[in-house]
Amino acid sequence: MSLTPFFAGLVNLGFVLLISPLFMTVVKKVKARAQRRAGPPLLQGYYNLAKLFRKEVVYSDYASFISRIAPYASLAILMVATLLVPVIWIPDAAPAEGNIIVFLYLLAFTRFLLALLGLDAGSTFGGMGSSREMSLSAVIEPTTVVVFAVMAYVAGTLSIPEMFRHATTIIPGMSPTALLLAVSLFILIIVETGRVPVDNPETHLELTMIHEGMLLDTSGRNLALFELSHAVKQTLLMALLINMLIPFGIIQEVSIVGLVLAALLFLLKGTALSVLLGIVESSFAKMRFFRVPNLFMLAFFFSALTILSEVMI
Amino acid sequence: MTEIGVIPSLLRICLILVLISAACLLTTRNLSSLVRTYALQSLILVAIAILLGVIEQKNILLLIAGITLASKVIGIPWFITVIQKRIRIQQDLKFSYLQPGGALVVSILLILLVYLCFSRVLHDLVTQNSLFFLGSIIGVSLMLMGLIAIFSRQLAITKVIGYLSMENGVLLFGLFVTELPFITEFVIMVDLIILVLLTTILTVGMDSSIDAYMNRLKEFHLWSEEEVQA
Repeated sequence: MSLTPFFAGLVNLGFVLLISPLFMTVVKKVKARAQRRAGPPLLQGYYNLAKLFRKEVVYSDYASFISRIAPYASLAILMVATLLVPVIWIPDAAPAEGNIIVFLYLLAFTRFLLALLGLDAGSTFGGMGSSREMSLSAVIEPTTVVVFAVMAYVAGTLSIPEMFRHATTIIPGMSPTALLLAVSLFILIIVETGRVPVDNPETHLELTMIHEGMLLDTSGRNLALFELSHAVKQTLLMALLINMLIPFGIIQEVSIVGLVLAALLFLLKGTALSVLLGIVESSFAKMRFFRVPNLFMLAFFFSALTILSEVMI
Repeated sequence: MTEIGVIPSLLRICLILVLISAACLLTTRNLSSLVRTYALQSLILVAIAILLGVIEQKNILLLIAGITLASKVIGIPWFITVIQKRIRIQQDLKFSYLQPGGALVVSILLILLVYLCFSRVLHDLVTQNSLFFLGSIIGVSLMLMGLIAIFSRQLAITKVIGYLSMENGVLLFGLFVTELPFITEFVIMVDLIILVLLTTILTVGMDSSIDAYMNRLKEFHLWSEEEVQA
């Protein structure tokens, strides 16, 4: 029993937890710049988390044990999901069997927890947010399954580390299937992290909120945990896209220099992707709720096309 | 896969980009981005023609690229933009028969159908040159997707864009499969037809649907009542 899987898991987890708030802030910064505002400093995400972690938690009178455990459970589940997705280093012996179906269900489970939390505090806004989130996820889930199935089909395996290893063998950016896959994954990121055409992460207005609606009644440390897990989720999905499309830089043999270089490269690529997310977010208006399925249809179209083009070429 | 190199893989990427732009043409509601998407699609076609010209060492392909660049990337989009500024069309377009989501599903089925048919008809091409096979499939699919755009859009100006996109499909198919000098003439002819079509619609009712166009024709006594009934 070697220590490699343990070490790899630790490195991966630490790295993801460390950089996730940064990517969230980069998106905010780009959006602010697009509106000609100065925007928050790049470390604002960390300041916010530090502030929230020091604050007291207030529970609603109606809150049950769910409000108390959901924040920890949500972050814990996403940490497990992090073990499945190697971000900068694909070790020979993975810390966990990186099965993409397990990954899918872990994401679905956090969403379920969030919906329960929204209902738990007994406020109307929370209930509304949960109801919207669940009806949206009923529509998006099939598309997510198809996108992940396409990834598995293209790489010929269900294991996420193996997919990344397969991606490193293709010339970066030269495969049309990887390109199509990237488009569907990009739409998936927008939907899963509640970004603009689907949900507006910055508003607390009754009419538009989905994700924020469920978190209205959380405060202090619990809110910090939720924000962190939201950021981790975004980083994981971004890692899927980056390592499938431009895996260039990810290491397979461990060395200190290699790790640092790979981390820096991922930081660079992730920042670029966040800038792109910010640009896309500021160039679209929010869609009407009933028009959102069209966006999923687009993702579905591209993933079906990926399978077709893989067959045709 | 018969050939491995930079240019064939670039060509494949371009072909996929053409399909992506066709999907955008089916779903976009904003008219100015619709025109921009069309210009982009034509630009990708120009790139494809140039790359094919490099592979096959034929100057005629470069000529086609030049004509396409002048007419479809710059000329027609500019023309439509000018018209669009003159008449104020609302952004939100209406759809008939098919909503964008349904149109996408139908177009996937159409691509599949074209693939199935072509793998029988062009049996030799599949084994000899998979790239040309892919090109011909995507050309015909683009044509059919333009057809969907024509019948699912209601305003005349978007129907024209669907028509133009169909014509792009014809060009793509011609680039990959048929003899070229003939197709060049054909392309120019079709372009002329489109220009005529554009100008006729422009004179009477660019900003309206076909029904409103008919009403206006009746109003000006350009069309007698009996013929309309028939």
